[in-house]
Amino acid sequence: MSIETLLLLVGLALILARLIGYALEKIKQPAVIGEILAGILVGPFVIGKIFGLGYLSPETEALGKLGIILLLFLSGIEIGVDEIKSASKKGLITTCFDASFAFLFGFIVGHILGYSTIVSIAIGNILVATSVGITVRTLMEMNALHSRVGEMILTVAVLDDVFGIVILSVTLGHGSSGLLLLKVLLFFLIFLATLFLASRIKNIKINIPNFVLTSSLSFLLIFSALAKMLGLAAITGSFFAGLLLSRSKHRRRLINFTRQIGEVFFIPLFFIWVGASFDFYALEDLGLLVLLFIPMAMLGKIIGCSLGARVCGLKGRDAFAVGIGMMPRLEVALVVVTTEISMGVFSKELAHQILAATVLLVIITSLITPFLLKTVYRR
Amino acid sequence: MNLKKLQEQKIKDILDEKQRWSLPVIEKDASIKKVLAILTARDHVWVVEKKGSKKLCGVITESDILHLLAPPRVPRYTFGKRYSISLLYKTARKAKDIMCKRVARCSLEDKVGDTLTKMVNSGLRRLPIVENDEIIGEITVHYILQKLLGKI
Repeated sequence: MSIETLLLLVGLALILARLIGYALEKIKQPAVIGEILAGILVGPFVIGKIFGLGYLSPETEALGKLGIILLLFLSGIEIGVDEIKSASKKGLITTCFDASFAFLFGFIVGHILGYSTIVSIAIGNILVATSVGITVRTLMEMNALHSRVGEMILTVAVLDDVFGIVILSVTLGHGSSGLLLLKVLLFFLIFLATLFLASRIKNIKINIPNFVLTSSLSFLLIFSALAKMLGLAAITGSFFAGLLLSRSKHRRRLINFTRQIGEVFFIPLFFIWVGASFDFYALEDLGLLVLLFIPMAMLGKIIGCSLGARVCGLKGRDAFAVGIGMMPRLEVALVVVTTEISMGVFSKELAHQILAATVLLVIITSLITPFLLKTVYRR
Repeated sequence: MNLKKLQEQKIKDILDEKQRWSLPVIEKDASIKKVLAILTARDHVWVVEKKGSKKLCGVITESDILHLLAPPRVPRYTFGKRYSISLLYKTARKAKDIMCKRVARCSLEDKVGDTLTKMVNSGLRRLPIVENDEIIGEITVHYILQKLLGKI
């Protein structure tokens, strides 16, 4: 791709993403869906077909991958070690139910469709993490954010992002199971050692302008590379780099900085790339996969979270509302599916189908969750 | 006072008693109503472990309150519980719910110039003066300005 074509398409994609995203926000839908739609517009099926310009290229893929790294870093630093530590026992129990059922239901979809064990595990991984944004907006509208249901949903949504990343690392790393276990252990040892060292080094005075921001970005990229070198996914490294830096006294500044460069440029380019990769031809062969994948994705969360919440003392209707509130999938699900595709877990044809099915899951759960939550949850 | 000379001085040399005893301080379990009451008169409040203690555990500024007063905005990419803390939806109940937990700080032995650089690099207008994890005073841009112009 020539540099002028790259600049033209990226420029066009960014403004389209912002405009469509804003329009969707106005009708209380996530802006991310607008970014995916913008990707479809600049992709091979619309602008690509009309003007013969191809958005999908190694350059746009690399930009999108930097977007993933920043997105997971943001996730790690915003969730933070302290928030994980302060999660209630009930939240932890519900998350265990939630993650196990979501993963298991995904695995069953793969198994029923006759895919290999590794592909079934990969499908299970996609379904673990929840997107809390749409549920928070709905709970705000219902003035139920401070209710037991609201608090439970928020705690579980925070924890299941962590579970999602850990499960992905453990199940899809490279190497034999024994070697993989060693690599995962080594990675977490390095994580803990860095956390310990960071808590000991408090009074280093370096008065270089913007040193904190530059060194944090540098640390993020090196930690992501380290995870990749150990055979784990780079996103595992970026998520844990975020967790490590969440204890820094510069946390707020880092969040603001990452949000600025991430939200304005790199992260939309990831979702645009997902949209551009959406293969309409894959829809033809999607029938049974979609028929199983989407309902099972929703059921896994409803059953897992409702059971967990019930065990933790919530009454029937409230426990069910927790399950409904946990249904939406968005950012992390798309990150997991694209990571698995780049790891070569799926064949080329299946990769297009799984990506298309995940994009449909994102859209459907975002649309129906507010309606279902308002119907089920009565105060 | 000459600015160059002021930058070379240590915090302990320019600090007067008022900066030590008139500190706005609140305990972390204090109600949000109490925090708001203090912020009607001050632009920040230091948060300490418990009543009578000086162990610093956070700070709440006007900017934090501004975010709580404005209609809540859920960002495009949402992670963690930060965006669910709200006055409107009663999820902000105590000082510890809204405070910034990790606070940049300075000590009595620091030079004024270094402290100002720290403020510039961290985007802050005030720093607590901390000895053995206990807050013993504060230094603000406002105070340094007054010192420079000889008003105190």
